[in-house]
Amino acid sequence: MFNNRKTSTVMSSPYLAWAFIFIVVPLGMIVYYGLTDDSGAFTFANIASIAQPEHLKALLLALELSLISTVICFLLAYPLGMMLAKNKMGNQGIITTLFILPMWMNFLLRTLAWMTLLENKGIINGVLSAMHLPLIHIINTPAAIVIGMVYNFLPFMILPIYNALAKIDDNVIDAARDLGANKFQTFMRVTLPLSVPGILSGVTMVFIPALTTFAISTMMGGSKILLIGNIIEQEFTLSYDWHLGSGLSLVLMVFIIINMIISAISERKESD
Amino acid sequence: MKKELIQLQHISKSYDGHMILDDLNLTIHENEFVTLLGPSGCGKTTTLRIIGGFERPDSGRVIFDGEDITELAPNRRQVNTVFQKYALFTHMDIAENIAFGLKIKNKSQAYIKDKIKYALKLVNLEGYEHRMPDTLSGGQQQRIAIARAIVNEPKVLLLDEPLGALDLKLRQEMQYELIRMKNELGITFIYVTHDQEEALTMSDHIVVMNKGYIQQEGTPEDIYNEPENAFVADFIGDSNIITATMVRDELVNILGTNFACVDKGFGENKPVDVVIRPEDVKLVERGKGTLPGVVSHIIFKGVHYEMEVQAGGFEWLVHSTRMNEVGSEVDIRVDPFNIQVMNRPASEDEEAIGVAE
Amino acid sequence: MQKKKSNNVFEKIYMGIIFVFMYAPILTLIVLSFNSSKSRAKWGGFTFNWYIRLFSDSEVLNALANTLIIALIATIVATIIGTVTTVALVGLNRKTRAVIMGVTNIPMINADIVTGISLMLLFRVLHFNTGFFTVLIAHITFNIPYVMLSVMPRMKTISPSVYEAALDLGARPMYAFRKTVLPDLAPAVVSGALMAFTMSIDDFIITYFTKGSGFDTLSTKIYNEVKRGIQPEIYALSAIIFIVVLGLLFASNRMKNVKIKPREMDERKAKGRKVRLIAATAVAMAAIVFLGMLFGGVFSKKSNQVYVYNAGEYIDPEVIEMFEEEYGIEVIYDEFESNEIMYAKVAADNAAYDVLCPSDYMIAKLIQNDMLYEIDLDEFPNAQEYTGPQYFESAQAFDPGNKYAVPYFWGTVGILYNKTMVDEPVTSWDVLWDEKYSGEILMQDSIRDAFMVALARNGFSINSTDPKEIEIATQDLIDQSPLVQAYVVDQVRDKMIGNEAILGVIYSGEAIFTKRENPNLEYVIPDEGSNVWIDAWVITKDARNKENAKLWIDFMCRPDIALMNFEYITYSTPNIAAQEMIEDEDIRTSEVAFPPAETLKRCDTYVYLGEEGDRLYSDAWKKVKSAN
Repeated sequence: MFNNRKTSTVMSSPYLAWAFIFIVVPLGMIVYYGLTDDSGAFTFANIASIAQPEHLKALLLALELSLISTVICFLLAYPLGMMLAKNKMGNQGIITTLFILPMWMNFLLRTLAWMTLLENKGIINGVLSAMHLPLIHIINTPAAIVIGMVYNFLPFMILPIYNALAKIDDNVIDAARDLGANKFQTFMRVTLPLSVPGILSGVTMVFIPALTTFAISTMMGGSKILLIGNIIEQEFTLSYDWHLGSGLSLVLMVFIIINMIISAISERKESD
Repeated sequence: MKKELIQLQHISKSYDGHMILDDLNLTIHENEFVTLLGPSGCGKTTTLRIIGGFERPDSGRVIFDGEDITELAPNRRQVNTVFQKYALFTHMDIAENIAFGLKIKNKSQAYIKDKIKYALKLVNLEGYEHRMPDTLSGGQQQRIAIARAIVNEPKVLLLDEPLGALDLKLRQEMQYELIRMKNELGITFIYVTHDQEEALTMSDHIVVMNKGYIQQEGTPEDIYNEPENAFVADFIGDSNIITATMVRDELVNILGTNFACVDKGFGENKPVDVVIRPEDVKLVERGKGTLPGVVSHIIFKGVHYEMEVQAGGFEWLVHSTRMNEVGSEVDIRVDPFNIQVMNRPASEDEEAIGVAE
Repeated sequence: MQKKKSNNVFEKIYMGIIFVFMYAPILTLIVLSFNSSKSRAKWGGFTFNWYIRLFSDSEVLNALANTLIIALIATIVATIIGTVTTVALVGLNRKTRAVIMGVTNIPMINADIVTGISLMLLFRVLHFNTGFFTVLIAHITFNIPYVMLSVMPRMKTISPSVYEAALDLGARPMYAFRKTVLPDLAPAVVSGALMAFTMSIDDFIITYFTKGSGFDTLSTKIYNEVKRGIQPEIYALSAIIFIVVLGLLFASNRMKNVKIKPREMDERKAKGRKVRLIAATAVAMAAIVFLGMLFGGVFSKKSNQVYVYNAGEYIDPEVIEMFEEEYGIEVIYDEFESNEIMYAKVAADNAAYDVLCPSDYMIAKLIQNDMLYEIDLDEFPNAQEYTGPQYFESAQAFDPGNKYAVPYFWGTVGILYNKTMVDEPVTSWDVLWDEKYSGEILMQDSIRDAFMVALARNGFSINSTDPKEIEIATQDLIDQSPLVQAYVVDQVRDKMIGNEAILGVIYSGEAIFTKRENPNLEYVIPDEGSNVWIDAWVITKDARNKENAKLWIDFMCRPDIALMNFEYITYSTPNIAAQEMIEDEDIRTSEVAFPPAETLKRCDTYVYLGEEGDRLYSDAWKKVKSAN
């Protein structure tokens, strides 16, 4: 600890061992399975199979839906984050917490809630038909999946954006106004750029789980719509093809790494 | 008399029922270095923020150059502010920070470039254009904040405790820098501080505030030498503030001993406070002064010795270049013109409002 | 001023809308938890029934207890490891620190599905017995980073001088650390632990991949239920969880307020309060763990067990209890959704279950891959006596010599339709391609059944491995998919009862049950022919409780038990004695339960198609699923 290298090494070694066994080795296994076939021979076929139309389609659809969800989450969360950050004093804390609260409900219960609302004979249609309005048919469509994603991941966007905005010194905003910027200019040139780190972490926290989900698409999509997450899940639980599943996981990791690089670059740009 | 630039008329402001400013009236002249001085919570920063446009007064008016600007947004005022914690834009480099106001006003590239160069030269930070704010020291950041404000050529520069976060040596350096800049720019500085030494060093005009009221206004000399009440006296430098009785004009009874003074018009046998600066207390041989005492404590302070003397049941603070050993028996003598006599406020409210009212 | 006010109104409306968006679904669940009608769209009156049912549903309670225990233990372990490591980090050189932080970031950034799969691969390759401990290890692994990332910034701000001062004054390192560094770290440690706890409770994906047989957390339990059709007890559970969370939130908020308000309260007092608070939390946690152990029985597992893996809704739950009572054997009972899912699980870990109940073609596949234990029918007196010999003979098709399987139920696949909503008599699979019924068709989410429909419709063999025929069938299914409301398994039943769809592909047994609930439903085996299947009990090769497994299988063949199961799930029982004991005349002679020979002539059994054939079907199936 502090300057004692020996103690520090001893103290950190349990975790090092743990991390090696349960983080590094398992990843290595994915790489191994992804790059071999049944006989253990080296192959790129598992990774290349992403080019198969059904895989590619699932990947593109997952990308599309997760991007849409991320954008919607951002558009909803940013104004809300601003309002919450403005009221950071006093008992407003509880209001902020209330927007984060659904996060503590079980993830599947949250999704289930939307299933019950959107079903063809569900609550919303029940209300609509009682009011003699046209019914909606959203369940089992990509739109329902987007709703499920937005609903589940919105708190993950609100929280970092709120934190970033609350951290901005009021004086900095005053300074911009003082230097002649009107409210809009102040927002565009000061508030928005200063909240970029929060936006980036919010985007990551929404985009990655949305891109890789299989539970939401199964529940809201009625198993009719396959995302890349479903494909991978089925390789392990249905088709019993670990090699293909690992190969596709590797492809997924490429997107995760791309996302990491993008946020690292834009963050560096911010602080350069 | 210089031209009147800013007038605050009957300004009141409260937060959550808590009165910050109460019917404040203040006039600021052109090309003056005005300091608002007072302890924290005295309303000095609120006053500054009202001038800057960040706060609206609950009542009263702000007149700038003959125009009512009470409702004007901060971005449309001809004043600029240097914030306490600098408030630099951390996502922009130094040049972009300085250029911020100019870009908003759509100035030409060449003009902006010139201005950045000029401003950096003024604050002695040439060549720092492309550094990021958080790579700069506190003093450097403060200078950038000043540069960022002055490139907009404001008529008034507001400075909110700009040196508060700096260490002593840097603070002193910056004080001279600020005076130099003010003279070079020829504009009005309104400076907020709780540091009386800073106020005395830099200002043309000091406004001492407490609890939302102005206690005293005047030149540094006025304020130091003739504090109008115990608060001002206590706040401006170390003082011996002693309750006393005004026997009659030009004679005051301090701790049971009569001292000659120069003040008149307090009436006879009236309770008063007297202020005597420690450097004005002379220690002389026993029998040669007015009040006998014993030295109880002594510290060498470099320029002078700081001594405590027990005399008449009061612990006198004395600054002197001559040393008297602890335990030595001395007499205290004060020249009449060094005794500052003040009305004693009867209640706390009255104390806040001050004797000037 | 005016402007500000209107701004405020706008803000309030905006916040209100998002608020509604976030809470309306939760509120819905709460309302539904009091709805006496099982249908979600109708209000059938107020009831507490679902709450009562919830508290007697040991499976859900077990899952809840498991969730809490896993979360608590994982949080505690992760908090200790994470804090110790973070403290140690400051003493390490830059490079080591960077490596550790880099590794720590992996589970944070990586997709849960990849983390889950990677751990699953590890556990499988190391032959770890998946279950409680694998899930715990996984949770600890992804929790540690949350603790470290929470403690790290705080640790960076702590200067060593206070710690060194304590050493200087003669304190031993541990004491000095506890007295100087730890108090400063405490808030960050607590918030890291809270974060870890939250993540652990909420996790589904990683648990899903790392959990083993007979072990469920709330998340995986709900996921199973969703696929099968949600029971209203789950709504009751959601309501309780929500109220508890809300209560905790307000309690903690009030505590915070109390802590800030009396400024005069000196620090020591505040510290005392904090200590008491921590102590109270610790006591509460211990209580939860204790209760959890009582319910979850994580550590009280009897040594005498049998692990059963059966299809969903395929047994009378009372039968399980009877077996447990009669033999003193604890039954760990899991359900699978399709034969393929069952196979993947058993292939990955043969010893995960002792007894399985797969269908014919899957039994053939299991036999071919040497995954089953050879049995001797003499050890199953009930089976020998009461199970119709014709069924054993049919079983020879997939189990030559009857060396592995004991028939459990049999049946056909057909169309269940709502006769009030169709215009013409349903006699052909073609009706499932009729655009009139767009969005009102439910298909089976099972490869063989879905392809059977398409192959039969085209007059091909339902066991075809001809790529051309499969291509035609695939194209048919793709063409059909826009018309399909959903691909489901056990949900067909509930959805048809609830009038949520007009046509659904379903197994014969469900037909009798659904008809009881909704008299408008009718079951038909289309003229083109269909599948007749047998599900049978088998024992896995590496089963750890083979003797118990045998007892289980023979117990299922006892006439009274077979009858109970028949009456509960209404599939066709091969148990002759049970058949004769059926009281309800209509059912005993029902053509659905016991189809006449001429109908059966139209039907074929599935045969195992081999690796190649399987691949052909599963690739084609993926094409269908990703078509829209």
